[in-house]
Amino acid sequence: MALEKHDKDKENSGGGRPVAEKGEHIVARHLIEDDNIKEEKNLVIDGVDVSGRWNTFIISRVDSDFDRSFFEEIKKTVAGSRINRCWQCGMCTASCTVTPLYRRFNPRAFIYMMQLGNLKELKKYIDVAWRCVGCYKCSQRCPKQVNPAEMMEALALVIKKYFPEEVKTKLKLDEEVKKIYEDMIIGHGRLDLAKLHTSAMQKSGRTKELLGKIERDTIFKMAKDGRAFSILRLGKPHNWSRSKEAIENYLRKLNTIENGEAGV
Amino acid sequence: MDKLKENQAAYYPGCALLTIDRAYNNSSKLVSKKMGIELVEIPDYNCCGIGEMKSKGAASMYMPLRNMMLAKNRLGSKNLVMACSVCYHEFSRSIARVKENQNELSAVNEIFKEAGEFNEEFIPDGEARHILEFLYNEKGVEEVKKNVVKPLKGLKVAPYYGCLYSRPSMYTFTDKKPKMDNSERPRFMHEFLEALGAETVFYGNEVQCCGGRNVVQDEETSFALCSQTISKAKKAGADVIALICPKCAGALDVNQPKIVEKFGKDSELPIVYLTQLMALAFGFSKKEAEFGDMISEPLKVLNEKGF
Ligand code: SF4
Ligand code: SF4
Repeated sequence: MALEKHDKDKENSGGGRPVAEKGEHIVARHLIEDDNIKEEKNLVIDGVDVSGRWNTFIISRVDSDFDRSFFEEIKKTVAGSRINRCWQCGMCTASCTVTPLYRRFNPRAFIYMMQLGNLKELKKYIDVAWRCVGCYKCSQRCPKQVNPAEMMEALALVIKKYFPEEVKTKLKLDEEVKKIYEDMIIGHGRLDLAKLHTSAMQKSGRTKELLGKIERDTIFKMAKDGRAFSILRLGKPHNWSRSKEAIENYLRKLNTIENGEAGV
Repeated sequence: MDKLKENQAAYYPGCALLTIDRAYNNSSKLVSKKMGIELVEIPDYNCCGIGEMKSKGAASMYMPLRNMMLAKNRLGSKNLVMACSVCYHEFSRSIARVKENQNELSAVNEIFKEAGEFNEEFIPDGEARHILEFLYNEKGVEEVKKNVVKPLKGLKVAPYYGCLYSRPSMYTFTDKKPKMDNSERPRFMHEFLEALGAETVFYGNEVQCCGGRNVVQDEETSFALCSQTISKAKKAGADVIALICPKCAGALDVNQPKIVEKFGKDSELPIVYLTQLMALAFGFSKKEAEFGDMISEPLKVLNEKGF
């Protein structure tokens, strides 16, 4: 059910060998760059000719020169506080709802890159990293209680801090929708679902669709049965402005990457 | 406001249930009352944060916990019942976190202090209860059976639990509640539906995700997941899919016409809330259970089957 076809899928789909759909992406080697794969035509190891069988290798990727400060930065956040516990078993990726749809979405690998502070690698995945649907299958099954679902939130913070340019281009919609949510949640203390829907449609340049039959039918139905008006009556909690100020103050004073404004 | 009586429970409706998902709100109240518990809304509630604040540290915990404070302060109740699985998740996540982590608890209390709305500090001594788990544990299947006046004989239902009712157990403590529901294979809704006289079908997507969280910015993913769930349920012979979360309803019900447009008629199946079916079996009218609110038109199949 993959929604995204990676170019490499075709090139590497087993070299003519019959591969079940499930196995395709294993053969397709997404997370290994082509430059890192070494293939020998004829290979003799210790006097044994292994040509045709053992002739594909991955160039050693041992990374010992990594930046610890990055790891500490993530550990300080609420969402990423358990990054130290991950032992890279891959249960999260195996459980993930999104991985079968977008095979480059690989929570285990993202956590690894965060542990090592490997920004160069992370940058390659900005276009899929935001697709986590927050289903917590990974967290349910993770044997080390790393809470990978929330590690994906930490990942978003990291991306926001280190790749502001990409966020502005590739993640524009995601950021804008988040902003709509936050403005409503913090600003008003309650969520206006109708406004959320229409503003998000506008932001994604789909205002026209709002006038299409499906949308019109739904809006008409809700106006007719009175639900549209209940949205207008939703209101705000009393004295919410005090909570709002307290929350904003808290966020301003934070000295972790959770403080988006200051870009600490 | 008066403190609660013995047969009352503090209830958090949330933004969806007070507006477009009134079907779930009303039917939850109806069936709870019938089963002997009156749900009393906390006054002055605020949004739980709907998962969108998680990267904002303790602020994400202040949102739900302010409501726990209201329940205690205004209604004298440590616990709070809610029907939305997303709210349930936000509440139980926050409670579990501050129980375990002193720093996070103090950070939340700092916000409380600054807002100055309550005189006391927040103490995590209460629980969030999901309406399904709550009715199951407090009243039980027998109480459901006792109230059935119109058995749903011949109705095939695909129970859909979605994600956050049972996952992750580190937050929901699903496995530790008085009687446990399983995180991987929950059963409570099955038992309720069978007690109503309906037949449950197995279709394999009971705890799949609907993609609801990203539904506004990533329809593509949500549609693919929902189409899979609906078509599997349909293939298994279900007449309707029963839900326990308004976010799932947004993805599976409200968006269904668009999903059908994209994936065809295999992805077309009426969606209802569990509590609507309970209300129907308990003798309330289809109007009282607000079946007409659902976009996927469950009324057709219900009428056909003679309910
Ligand atoms: S399941 Fe947990 S321990 Fe295993 S790789 Fe994922 S986060 Fe790490
Ligand atoms: S929470 Fe996100 S990363 Fe975890 S299984 Fe679900 S989609 Fe995958």
